[in-house]
Amino acid sequence: MQSAVTPVNESAALAQSRPRKLQVLGILSGFTAGAWLGAAEAPTKLVSVGVSPIVISLIMVTGVFLARWSVPALILGTSSVRADLRRAPHLIIWALLAGCLWAVANTMTIFAIRDIGLSIAFPLWNSNSLLGILWGFIFFNELRQAGWRRWTGVLGGALVMCAGAALLARASATQAPAAHSMRGVWAALGAGVLWGTMYIPYRKAYLSGMNPLSFVTFFTFGELGMMAALAIGYLGLAPLWRELNNARDVLFWLMLGGFIWVIGDVFQQYAAKYVGISRGIPLSNSNQLWGLLWGIFVFGELRGSGASTYLQVVGGSLLMMLGVGAIAFSSAAGKEQAQWQEASRRESRRYNIAEDYVEARMQGMQMTGEVRPPRTVWDWILVAAATGIFVFFATLARAPRMSFHLGPAALLITATLVLLLFCGITLWRTTRFN
Amino acid sequence: MQAIRNPEQRRHWLTTVLTDVHFWVPVTVLIGGLLLLESIH
Repeated sequence: MQSAVTPVNESAALAQSRPRKLQVLGILSGFTAGAWLGAAEAPTKLVSVGVSPIVISLIMVTGVFLARWSVPALILGTSSVRADLRRAPHLIIWALLAGCLWAVANTMTIFAIRDIGLSIAFPLWNSNSLLGILWGFIFFNELRQAGWRRWTGVLGGALVMCAGAALLARASATQAPAAHSMRGVWAALGAGVLWGTMYIPYRKAYLSGMNPLSFVTFFTFGELGMMAALAIGYLGLAPLWRELNNARDVLFWLMLGGFIWVIGDVFQQYAAKYVGISRGIPLSNSNQLWGLLWGIFVFGELRGSGASTYLQVVGGSLLMMLGVGAIAFSSAAGKEQAQWQEASRRESRRYNIAEDYVEARMQGMQMTGEVRPPRTVWDWILVAAATGIFVFFATLARAPRMSFHLGPAALLITATLVLLLFCGITLWRTTRFN
Repeated sequence: MQAIRNPEQRRHWLTTVLTDVHFWVPVTVLIGGLLLLESIH
């Protein structure tokens, strides 16, 4: 009797504990994304070397392109990507669209940084979290039947984060360049709207069962295609080539920034998958805190500022952490999870995808009897080619002349690597990257 | 692993995307973003 009942009980217990595990995983992915996305902002300081914003964005996107093909090939294998694509071919269009949105937004951030400084631009474009909450609620049933406590946690947390971000911006306002301030503000806000809306395709993909690693490989064609079109359209081929040649000393650093950004984005994608965009975006936006840590301790920003400036920085940071904490403790419960499943079934019906496949993928699992395609030699060729290109540009690179403190940099790098390892291992153990 | 298809669903996936109202929100924002970029460039 006992032996017949136990598996059923175990299965029921697993079904009950799985959503909670995935929520914790999503929150952890959001934190890790914040750390890596914050670290990726450091190379944008090279904006001051006189390279055109469009060229900087194009170079970063080239690094992103290489990373978006080599990282999934390394972790998952391109055969898995192809298998995902055969099941949901419509997601190519969504991924391309998301990539185009990202490229335009990224270009705007470069203009914004140049015109109003990173410290002001950053909180302005991070307002994308509020837009993400709106889209999540309207289109994907997020926060439906969530109860006032979770609503307060998510919306309140996002607003507290915005307040913290504004305080941080005020603290470092004296560092901001004064020229073209309104243009910079529009650029930063525009980037926020584009990035906030980019999460519609993200969520659409994950409600359809797509693996985040598969989604990003097609996303990047939209990025690189749009960015190349903007660069050629605005500058022309010959001037673009001249600028790229003139910037060869810094090409590697910008590509590296793109590569680091991709690591953060992969975790951001997992956060969007497991906790939705209303919670995933604000958690990823903790990158501002990490960006600030890099700015103050590694690049010596705010040096010589008064005590009130540091108080604002500490206050703003605490508010940011408070907001992140409020969102992290407002994970989706039973009724809201049921609403998510309803949104997922709607996508399955609309796009004609097998519901059991989508259901399994939403749980971070494979379908019964599904076999993961093996890696091929092409995966290793891809990884080797991407590494070779990075090594080539590294040989051309020169360290930019700027204030750089090695000790704090080593500490921050260690912290981000520890987060990468911890979150990566947890993801592997829980989902096998499904 | 072959996906189980809904027999009622006969439309091409591209048609389904283009008739999905969700699709046109990011498209509109992208067009707006390009216009803004053009004006600040």
